[in-house]
Amino acid sequence: MNEYNAGTRGIANRGKNGQGKFAYSRLADSDAFVAWIFILPFIVLWAWWFFYPFLQSFIRSFQDVNFAALDEAKFIGFGNYAKILQDPDFYRALLHSLEIVAISVPSQAVLGLLLAILVNKKIAGQGIFRTVFFIPYIASQIAVTTVFMMLFKQDTFVTRFFALLGMKNATWFADTDYALLFVCMLFVFQQVGFSMIVYLSGLQEIPRDLYEAAEIDGASKGNQFRYITVPSLKPVIFFVVSVSTILAFQIYDQIAAISRYGALGTPAGATSTVVTYFYQHGIRYLNIGYGCAAVVLFFFVILAVTAIQKKLLDAKD
Amino acid sequence: MNVKLIRRAIAYAVLWLLAAAFATPFIYTLYNSFMPLKYANKLVGMKEWTLEHYATFFTNEAYNVPLWFWNTLVMTGIIMLGNWIVNPMAAYALAKLNFRGKKLVLWMVMATMMVPYHMILIPVYVNMAQIGWLNTFAGLTVPFLYQCLYIFMLRQFYLGIPNELIEASRIDGLNKIGGFWRIVFPLAKSSLITMSILTFAGTWNSYLVPSTFVSSPEKYVLVVGLNSLKDAAFEKTSLIMAGVVLSTVPILLFFFFFQKQYIEGVSTSGIKG
Repeated sequence: MNEYNAGTRGIANRGKNGQGKFAYSRLADSDAFVAWIFILPFIVLWAWWFFYPFLQSFIRSFQDVNFAALDEAKFIGFGNYAKILQDPDFYRALLHSLEIVAISVPSQAVLGLLLAILVNKKIAGQGIFRTVFFIPYIASQIAVTTVFMMLFKQDTFVTRFFALLGMKNATWFADTDYALLFVCMLFVFQQVGFSMIVYLSGLQEIPRDLYEAAEIDGASKGNQFRYITVPSLKPVIFFVVSVSTILAFQIYDQIAAISRYGALGTPAGATSTVVTYFYQHGIRYLNIGYGCAAVVLFFFVILAVTAIQKKLLDAKD
Repeated sequence: MNVKLIRRAIAYAVLWLLAAAFATPFIYTLYNSFMPLKYANKLVGMKEWTLEHYATFFTNEAYNVPLWFWNTLVMTGIIMLGNWIVNPMAAYALAKLNFRGKKLVLWMVMATMMVPYHMILIPVYVNMAQIGWLNTFAGLTVPFLYQCLYIFMLRQFYLGIPNELIEASRIDGLNKIGGFWRIVFPLAKSSLITMSILTFAGTWNSYLVPSTFVSSPEKYVLVVGLNSLKDAAFEKTSLIMAGVVLSTVPILLFFFFFQKQYIEGVSTSGIKG
């Protein structure tokens, strides 16, 4: 159909359908009108289920308010914050959060790179290996934690194996020394597949001739890794580290699963984190104001850590 | 030559060791799920294998796996439907239309992406209790009918569609809405598929939200049901392992079906869904 025909058809339509149709088609052609119609569902949902609760988190954090008596909310200024900052349990939880990040983020970043390099080689069953390492990432955290809880009970073949390596033959998630390590291990086991996949796409973008040139110059494999692979992967490594840092801070499912019927962070608070701290107070004890104050602190901790990390990673460039 | 051979052998050995370590939990789960309870955690061959644990889930009212499966399906279905409608529309407005406040809306989308859901969990829980949405599908789905991450992702994709195409469609008599439905929407199919896959996986596996907003077993989703089963019957290893298999098989099948797109989506966004 040529332009002329299209034009006349449009005019003919308007004529046939009268003024109403004409007004509609004018509106349907106005950017602002269409844009607001299109954006409205998002705005409504966002304002209702994000922005309003987001503001409430801050407002509630300055109130002494319990779920059972929402109408009796009392403004207490920084009272909740003061109480939290005097609570040794909060510092313990904060320390655990930082420990989880410090242990699991580097280990999965390194292990992920190792896996990526191994499965990047031309080997038999390459696809099967990749799938084996990636599948834990797809399964739910609860499913994986459940299986690991069975495997890491006292006297199973797994704990006996680790006993041979000098660890205690204990039920890991119920042992105050091992429970946090158990959580880190779960996180690494699931997250490493993601890192591997991201590294793999990075590795495949490094030009082959770089390695060939290095080979001719007599560079060893170790030096090729150090001077070609790592520098080329730098942006990918940043991506892997920042994504997994945020996720490690937000760990909840695994800890909830090992707590069973007990308070979050069992055994004896050994796996309490900033997340379980706010959840325990805000949702389980329904101490709304206190929980919201803890959440606001959690938010600022994440902001601070991401800012510091960004600074550090940028400085390395 | 010899050094090369040794290096290759070491690489193979490490690879096989790691693969064995990663495969162990899966083999363990599958094996135990078929074995009678008395053989839990013992390696005794497959002679006495049984389907009784799987059967339990379809007969025992306390572990109503078919119902939990249905709940998960409904929750995931509604959320995906919402995301299909809300996200592309918002993304189109932000990518191809001019209106006052566009910068502000875009900023809202990007800022929301940065905020972890934990941040608003307590007030959302309170608001939901007040309007009676706890233990309902409405509570599980309505707040999640949009995702700022995907609005942003789709917008980036729509920006790449040349304006000339939309203008040409206007000359052919399509208005701005038609330009969206007939031109942008079909052209951006691949980004929509990525969004759908990530949304499906993320919703199917979610635990924090359904475990907080739902407390009655008849409204459990699979993941929450599995967790309650694990707590209630912790000593029945084989039974729980069958539960793990049943609740994980759908998402694994889904993965094998959409492997390529899923991996692409995950490795660019860093988000499971």
